[in-house]
Amino acid sequence: MPPVGIWIDGLIQSCTYMTMAFGMVLVFSILGILNWAHGQFYMLGAFVFYYAVTAAGIPFPVSLLISGVLVGGLGILVEKFIIERVNIPSAQGALYVTVATIALIFFFEGAASMIFGMQDKGLAMVLPGVLDLGSFSVSYQKIAVVIFTLVIMITMYIVLNHTKVGLAIRAAAQEPDAASLHGINVERLSLLVMGIGCALAAMAGSIMAPVFIINPFIGGIPMIMSLLAIVIGGLGSLTGAIVGGLILGFLNSVVAYHLSYFSEVVLFVLVIIILLVRPQGLFGASRK
Amino acid sequence: MRYIDYKTVLPRTVAGVLVFLIVILPVFTTNVITLSVFISSGIWAIAAMGFTLILRTGQFSLGQAAFMAIGGYTSAIFTVNIGWSFWPSFLLAGIVPGIIALIIGSIVLRVGGTYFSIITLALSEVVRIIAQQWESVTRGTRGLITSPPNPIVINGFEINFYASTVPYFYLMVLLVAITAVVFWQIGRSRIGGTFYSIAANPILAEHQGIPLMKYRVIAFTVAGVFTGFAGSLYAHSLTVITPYMLGLWQSIQIMIMSIVGGIGSLAGGPIIGSIVLYTFGIYLSRVEIYGIQQLLFGGVVVLVLLFLPKGTGLIDLWDRFWRKVIWREEEYEPDTPDD
Amino acid sequence: MSYLELKEVSKLFGKLGALQDINLQVNKGDIIGIVGPNGSGKTTLINVISGYYRPTQGTVLFDGKKISGKRPDQIAARGIARTFQSNVLFEGASVVESVMVSSYLQYRTRSWQAFFETRAYKDEHEAVVGRVLELLRMLDLFNDTFMPAEGLSHGYQRMLGIAIAMAANPRVLLLDEPTTGMNHEESMFVVENIRKISEQGVTVILIEHNMKVLLNLATRVVVLNFGYKIAEGKPEEVMNNQEVIDAYLGTEIV
Repeated sequence: MPPVGIWIDGLIQSCTYMTMAFGMVLVFSILGILNWAHGQFYMLGAFVFYYAVTAAGIPFPVSLLISGVLVGGLGILVEKFIIERVNIPSAQGALYVTVATIALIFFFEGAASMIFGMQDKGLAMVLPGVLDLGSFSVSYQKIAVVIFTLVIMITMYIVLNHTKVGLAIRAAAQEPDAASLHGINVERLSLLVMGIGCALAAMAGSIMAPVFIINPFIGGIPMIMSLLAIVIGGLGSLTGAIVGGLILGFLNSVVAYHLSYFSEVVLFVLVIIILLVRPQGLFGASRK
Repeated sequence: MRYIDYKTVLPRTVAGVLVFLIVILPVFTTNVITLSVFISSGIWAIAAMGFTLILRTGQFSLGQAAFMAIGGYTSAIFTVNIGWSFWPSFLLAGIVPGIIALIIGSIVLRVGGTYFSIITLALSEVVRIIAQQWESVTRGTRGLITSPPNPIVINGFEINFYASTVPYFYLMVLLVAITAVVFWQIGRSRIGGTFYSIAANPILAEHQGIPLMKYRVIAFTVAGVFTGFAGSLYAHSLTVITPYMLGLWQSIQIMIMSIVGGIGSLAGGPIIGSIVLYTFGIYLSRVEIYGIQQLLFGGVVVLVLLFLPKGTGLIDLWDRFWRKVIWREEEYEPDTPDD
Repeated sequence: MSYLELKEVSKLFGKLGALQDINLQVNKGDIIGIVGPNGSGKTTLINVISGYYRPTQGTVLFDGKKISGKRPDQIAARGIARTFQSNVLFEGASVVESVMVSSYLQYRTRSWQAFFETRAYKDEHEAVVGRVLELLRMLDLFNDTFMPAEGLSHGYQRMLGIAIAMAANPRVLLLDEPTTGMNHEESMFVVENIRKISEQGVTVILIEHNMKVLLNLATRVVVLNFGYKIAEGKPEEVMNNQEVIDAYLGTEIV
């Protein structure tokens, strides 16, 4: 058995991947496309949070919201002015969205390097200290990550199940044509969902910032891992995204403990095996 | 009835002359840097052609650089660690990526679509990690120093890869030409039509008796083989292969070269795309401000997607240039796919 | 022994039964009409036979062999082709290109022979082109050979759908509402062609709302309601069946 610290690290990773994968799948279920630059919204969120806390001296829970709102707004702009325009209604549409959002990875990382610089930044002064539990201790920063993720998931659950907007989102995800017939404006819903998805990524980036370092390239790994989480869970399934994120976070941490170097390789092989057994992922719709 | 349409023949002749001028480039200059730019462009062109071939079956591979890396490392390992000579290692550099593509394709292409893109993307990262961590074989981040092929003597004429860059240039030209001809022949044959049909409407195609998996795997494997050759040539012409030379970003660049060049053509588009973007990248890398290269690269690609008519790449601009500027045709009708 | 046989076939979506214990025997050369109100499971039936859906229970036998559970392409290779309810086409292809790429099963030569353009392939290709053009002529699509398929009128797109299915060289042809959206003249042209196809020895199963078409054409009619088969028999008999009339109560069929 790995020590408790490894499991806690696994939980922290799970939280990130869950939040990221959830946002991506939410966007996918409405827009039918993956936002490949999702990790860069995570990175931008971390930077906004960093400057809000350090330069502006805003208390960290407020900074978290500011980061979500600003980056969520950026996501809406990206949807409105780029994705919507290149997503033409043909077989090629998905291809152009893929290329455009991938190009945005370069764009955002380049922009962040120029604006914020390349050096690693730290936010260790947010929530310093550790909670001592006798045989082991957990930093308050990590506890904050877990609490934050729980709050986010519960909020999203309530929004999706008990609000009008949430019902509209679920209706549009299942039957886009029928939804638009029933007076749901799918176009506006797409903007909203993209905003929510990017805000989730940004807040995940923010809450993780005190635990790790911040630089323009921190978005890459969380993005790849949450993509794999989506594959495990089944594309289009929100439950799948959460479960996939959980599995992958713990596995990554535990496998890395036993096999320090090849953990990603082991995970990759595992994902391939899951696809071999269940081509649609654990929670994906199985073949008709 | 056959007749000569000068509006078709003239642009082709001009394009042919341009290609010919590139092919005889060493006559004008043997400058190592100039030739290297073309060698690298040609290598990327092969990878981009592979991407386009897979795209013809409706799948987006985001991991083509992984196959270059597998090819490059295969021939590097066999020449450096095992002591084989270049040519058999080079052959193996096509076979190994082909087999890996066959295996991964057979599993992942059952679902295809976004799953396939994600898995190939992850493959790029996984290959990079293996290359980095398997130090006893790959020497980790230090990379493997490769040696050129031994000199070949034909009728007293010596082709020496040590003495100049020209032999590499012609090896590249030969490899690009073979890849282009093979892919072009696939595209115009019945197989190309089958590829097109499974991309355009997989459900209908499947009901016409076309096994989707088989053709997706064929495209992925064939692309893997040629991309592996390109990777081997890359590793040997640069005399080194390291884990970071062929990772995720290179996979993405390959895709962007193919799209910007024009996906309507299996050979021309990727070749133009890789020459233009590779040269563009080299000029960008001279700019001193860090980050501006990525910013401009990403920005230009987004602008191209936003403002060029959909479905066109640089190769279609060539066509439009002749129609609009030279022949001054009033109406521009987009071409239907050439399959 | 019957040619195509469904044994207790059920298809459930979750708990919703789209098909319930369907038994059906089709003999070689039959023209079977399938009728029923919307949502009665007609298209599901065709989807199950063609392999698009796997039946939840039961088996489909064709020519004595089990085909249920096989992929659509394997079933098509056995000789069962179909059309789709909506106008499903190959995006961007012309009429002749659509039918040519659909002729996959007519080729016996292998991919490598096509790649190297061997003599055998070339001969075969020429023969296929000939048959495709003949097919286009038969279905009145010859004048639109090079027209983009999207540019055809609704009725002709459905005709192209039939041409595409026929290009698979079927022994059984499944037609999903071949005459919807057509005027009387076009409908009659389709009926005439279905008869021609049938005379070539192809067994036909068609979903059809228009009873006049079925009276004219079908050797047997099967009526579905809420996924159950409620009647089967000669068109005239079925039309006078009380249960069928009830099922259609309020609709204009009788």
